[in-house]
Amino acid sequence: MSTHNLTKAALRAEGLPRRRAMNRLMELVAWLAAALAIGILVVMVWSVARRGAGALNLDLITKTPVQFNFGNAPSGLSNAFAGTLVIVGLATAMALPVGILVAIYLNEFARPWIRSSVSLALDVLNGVPAIVIGIFVFGLFVVGHGQSGYAGAFALACLMLPLVARSTLEVLALVPASLREASLALGVPRWRTTLSIVLPQTLGGIVTGTVLAVARVAGETAPLLFTTSIVGTQLHWDPHHALQTVPVAIFELSESANPADHAQAWAAALVLLLFILCTNLTARWLATRSRRKITTAR
Amino acid sequence: MSRIIAVIAATAFMATSCALAAAAPARQSGTTLTGAGSTFVAPLVSQWGPAIGQAYGYELQYSPIGSGGGVAAVTNRTVDFGASDAPLSNDQFTACKGCVQIPWALSATSVIYNVQGVKNLLHMNGPTLAKIFNGEITTWNDPAIKKLNKGVALPDLKIAIVHRSDNSGTTFNFTDYLASVSPQWKSKVGTGVAVNWPTGTGARGSSGVAATVAQTPGGIGYVDVAYALSSHITYFAMQNRSGKFATPGLKGILAAASSDQKPDATTNALSIVNPPKKYPLAYPIATYTYVIVPTQSAKAPELRKFLFWAVTKGQKFGPKLLFQPIPKPVLVVAEKAITKIHA
Amino acid sequence: MTEIEAPRLSGRRFRPGDLSLQTVAGAAALAASALVVLIAYTIVRDSKPAWSAYGLGFVTRAVWDPVKHVYGAGSFLFGTVVTSLAALAIATPLAIAIALFLTELAPRWLRGPVTALVETLAAIPSVVIGLWGILVLGPVLRDHVEPALHSALGFMPLFGPPSTTGSSMFTAIVVLTIMILPIVSSISRELFLGVPRDLKEGALALGTTRWEMVRGVVFPYARGGIAAAMILGLGRAVGEAIAVTQVIGSTVSVSANLFSTGDTLASKIAASYQGAEDKAQVSSLVYLGLILLVFSLVMNVSAQLIVRRVVRRQGTSTRAGVA
Repeated sequence: MSTHNLTKAALRAEGLPRRRAMNRLMELVAWLAAALAIGILVVMVWSVARRGAGALNLDLITKTPVQFNFGNAPSGLSNAFAGTLVIVGLATAMALPVGILVAIYLNEFARPWIRSSVSLALDVLNGVPAIVIGIFVFGLFVVGHGQSGYAGAFALACLMLPLVARSTLEVLALVPASLREASLALGVPRWRTTLSIVLPQTLGGIVTGTVLAVARVAGETAPLLFTTSIVGTQLHWDPHHALQTVPVAIFELSESANPADHAQAWAAALVLLLFILCTNLTARWLATRSRRKITTAR
Repeated sequence: MSRIIAVIAATAFMATSCALAAAAPARQSGTTLTGAGSTFVAPLVSQWGPAIGQAYGYELQYSPIGSGGGVAAVTNRTVDFGASDAPLSNDQFTACKGCVQIPWALSATSVIYNVQGVKNLLHMNGPTLAKIFNGEITTWNDPAIKKLNKGVALPDLKIAIVHRSDNSGTTFNFTDYLASVSPQWKSKVGTGVAVNWPTGTGARGSSGVAATVAQTPGGIGYVDVAYALSSHITYFAMQNRSGKFATPGLKGILAAASSDQKPDATTNALSIVNPPKKYPLAYPIATYTYVIVPTQSAKAPELRKFLFWAVTKGQKFGPKLLFQPIPKPVLVVAEKAITKIHA
Repeated sequence: MTEIEAPRLSGRRFRPGDLSLQTVAGAAALAASALVVLIAYTIVRDSKPAWSAYGLGFVTRAVWDPVKHVYGAGSFLFGTVVTSLAALAIATPLAIAIALFLTELAPRWLRGPVTALVETLAAIPSVVIGLWGILVLGPVLRDHVEPALHSALGFMPLFGPPSTTGSSMFTAIVVLTIMILPIVSSISRELFLGVPRDLKEGALALGTTRWEMVRGVVFPYARGGIAAAMILGLGRAVGEAIAVTQVIGSTVSVSANLFSTGDTLASKIAASYQGAEDKAQVSSLVYLGLILLVFSLVMNVSAQLIVRRVVRRQGTSTRAGVA
């Protein structure tokens, strides 16, 4: 390393003013960069908040959209909000059990070579761009059958799976071996140990991981673009239909020529942003709480 | 113990939901008709939705993803009907495996522009337009444009071309026109739902083009005239073959439609672009738009009812959006084609 | 609740419950791995018409002509490389500066809120950033920033004539920078927090300034991790379809001018896939997806390898530090 250079520099006391100036300069640069980045963030969030709040009203979640709104009929995005709830809910139902089971398998049963290859598969899955997952699910479920909320939910579940599995794996690894060994020593069978002793310890972490995954996919547009975008304006809850979703609605409204559509897009973006922020904060709060529990339990 | 049951139940649910997704038909048959395609006809179809709901109780779900998307969707049978302004080619008919193409609406492509302080309905002709989109004419005060608009003060502003980035029947109509007025365009670029544009910015959908032109000083683009109206954008009066400058209004579209009243025997396609001299009122960039339906469909009775309604009563919603009701000879052919749809 | 059974003194304990849990969990793991393989197989299979017809030349051909049925990924590959690398080049120094700010310079009361703020940036969905990009950022860049850059630095072909509509590669670069920034920043911050205190304090005790300590101790220590963070950020930028397609202008062009329009692999797929009609176009678009998949695979695996090497090295150096 450069300790040798550091010492030399330190001993060269006559270079001190220049070195101090350099230090000052770099501190200034760091402050400026941070200010710039924070500034951009504030500007963007402020844009969304200001324009969104202006258009935010109860109509947004109670009225259905009006296509080609030449007049100014009251219009909203109720079908999009309903669709997002259904599709994200379905995606969670699909990804959560599989993710937990994969993590259990990797942590409790798998031999090292299986563990590293499945981990690699999960990391690869995490790295597949969302648009590619969209084409994949389109070819798998949509061709010949038509779009549906199920296809969209499956695409989102593919995105959630590695996140849930990885976070579950992390908390599973945190459970001390002594707990397992004590249970096994008492004669509890392996499967019971895993499900009744180990898993409950990790529930906090699993919930955190799931909530973070939900926050991540609630805003995803690309996987839904080819699987659940051909929709009408009526409110539907049935996932056999293609359902409108908030991100896809924002995407379509953002390219419209009608300023009223833009206002609707901002309002929907604000609601989406608030939802994601709240879920992130909840996850963070849960994480610190469960971390505190595990460390005090030790 | 309860947690174990919860895990097993969740897994079972996941398994069954995946099985359902794969096995079950994705649409409930009966009251919902899904369609996708042309953004050109979307303003009219959006008017049909509530009306059809009142008349027969059907729910119409239409997604304007572009004519290419409509053809792809109906070929893949992911929708009940597709809408395209560009007639299907022989290969596309083969790929669609038993589809019928029916002309169901008639309107025009307006060429929109955004130049501050300049009035609506500037004059433009085909060859000049082709040169603009070729990149040969780059500013609004070019002599060629000034010659067509004597007395209008045109600024020294760069022309910002906006074209469609998705597969679009409107692009087909527009490039068809440019190819018919400019041999250079025909050989270099050609006609198609998507072409290798020499220059310009791409935007998604007719609304995307309208939005981009409206936000870009000096912008020029092409959209179905209904979008120009709803976005309050200025558009050109185009010079037709007889030398007159025609607007994309009902009269101009009707005159253009008179130039071809006989749909093709097999494909039902019509071509009314750049009509000959003897139609002095014709707007040269008018087009029919088609609905493409599989001849065999689980929703055949509903589709027949819907389409019959669309080509007769539905045409009433057209004029205020500048869709000309389809002429009688074409209507006869359309109705005959609709009867081909069976269960 | 738990029955205490007498332990069997001989033979292996093999309960049916164990077997069923292992089978079910194993099936899940198999399904997850199979999913990855299925995705790769489907993409390769659906792009076969394109790569058997055009071969590898497709990757560099910068033409996309549906009328003449000539397709090539060249211009999109160019767009992806330029926008992602440029965004990475701008975001990395900013992110490292923020991480340094948060670990070394900021007063303690400021650290929490600013960290939360940066992580909020990571949570904003790409479609919202794209919406902001079209309606707010694009016009500002077109009307103020690009003309200023062009008049100041126009001698370089990079800063040619400003964009006309606000959609350009430059807008896409800014949008991607905003998306990469929090990723690289939060990973760097964790890395800097993990530098052993005794190493830092040792350097300071020798009389170095804070900047020299950062340059001589923190950076070398965190170098591998920052590399991994950069690769992860690059992967994010390369795969981004939605926000990019909203602001990049969707044209098939290769130009040195940052203010011109263009397109990237992911955004071309998002724009054109749904509308692609004939087999040649569909398979060409899936071929683009294949190239994209290979890109992200390579980046993921290399980020993994770097992380593994860094963890191994950090393990040895902490041991050395303790000793």
